Amino acid sequence: MKTLAELRKIREQAQADMKLRASGSRVKVIVGMGTSGIAMGAREVMKTFLDEISKRGLKDVIVTQTGEKGLSSVEPVVDIVEEGKDTVTYGNMSPDKARQVVVEHIVNGNIAADHVVSTKK
Amino acid sequence: MQDISLHLLDIIENSARAKAKNIYLDVIIDEESDKIEFLVKDDGTGMDAETLKNAQNPFYTSKAERVKKVGLGIPLFAQNAELCEGSFQLESELGKGTNLIATFKYSHIDRMPIGNLKDTLISAIIGHAEVDFWVQLTHSGVGKSLEWSFNTAEIKAELGDIPLTYPDVIQYIDENINDGIKKTEMEEN
Repeated sequence: MKTLAELRKIREQAQADMKLRASGSRVKVIVGMGTSGIAMGAREVMKTFLDEISKRGLKDVIVTQTGEKGLSSVEPVVDIVEEGKDTVTYGNMSPDKARQVVVEHIVNGNIAADHVVSTKK
Repeated sequence: MQDISLHLLDIIENSARAKAKNIYLDVIIDEESDKIEFLVKDDGTGMDAETLKNAQNPFYTSKAERVKKVGLGIPLFAQNAELCEGSFQLESELGKGTNLIATFKYSHIDRMPIGNLKDTLISAIIGHAEVDFWVQLTHSGVGKSLEWSFNTAEIKAELGDIPLTYPDVIQYIDENINDGIKKTEMEEN
């Protein structure tokens, strides 16, 4: 069984980590989790982002979810929001494509152009 | 929706959109009465009587921005429960919150599997860090009485300003919920 003591350890380590970095989160990932998104696999996309963050130890990425945004023809939809950059919306996401977005966009800093639906300021 | 866990995620999203601060999810399997019951309760904005009635109509949506006026989340879940000799109940009060109870005949041949309850919970918990989740899994039968509960309030209190998306925290929550689902024998895919 998991205990709260384990969390305390994680917290102490995380706080030490955070002291080394200037700011908190660098990238925000927003997964569209409306009815049609869920039916098209948005949960698996969300889980892929979480698994990749955990596996790669990405400590400056936040993942949240939101309702539908009227893009049901390209669900599942994911927004990547970065301070000082245009917000990029990716569509027709799958676990594989989500992994590409993690590597190309979040880790390497290049937009994964093949899967972009729109960008906006 | 292919399984019940996806319906639950959809319902939880409704609660989160209704600005709930707390969302309670109970899954209760009682083999003796041959029932499986799902309860989702929130303290969000709730609905007035008119909206509540409309929520069960597939050609209604609360989303003003939607061009096609459909809202299938609740009606589909209700239909699936009723097809399995079950029942579906939605109660709400404006300013207080909403209660949903879906019951299925546990052994019904057409009952969808529970599905990946773990991923539904992780997705909702981490995707809505602003909401506290209270989860209770209960599985009883002849000579069987299994129970597991979980809440994010104590996890957040322990973590302080460390976000739930922190890598080790994701893993902690994942393993914790996995233990609970195994312990209560609710793995069904």
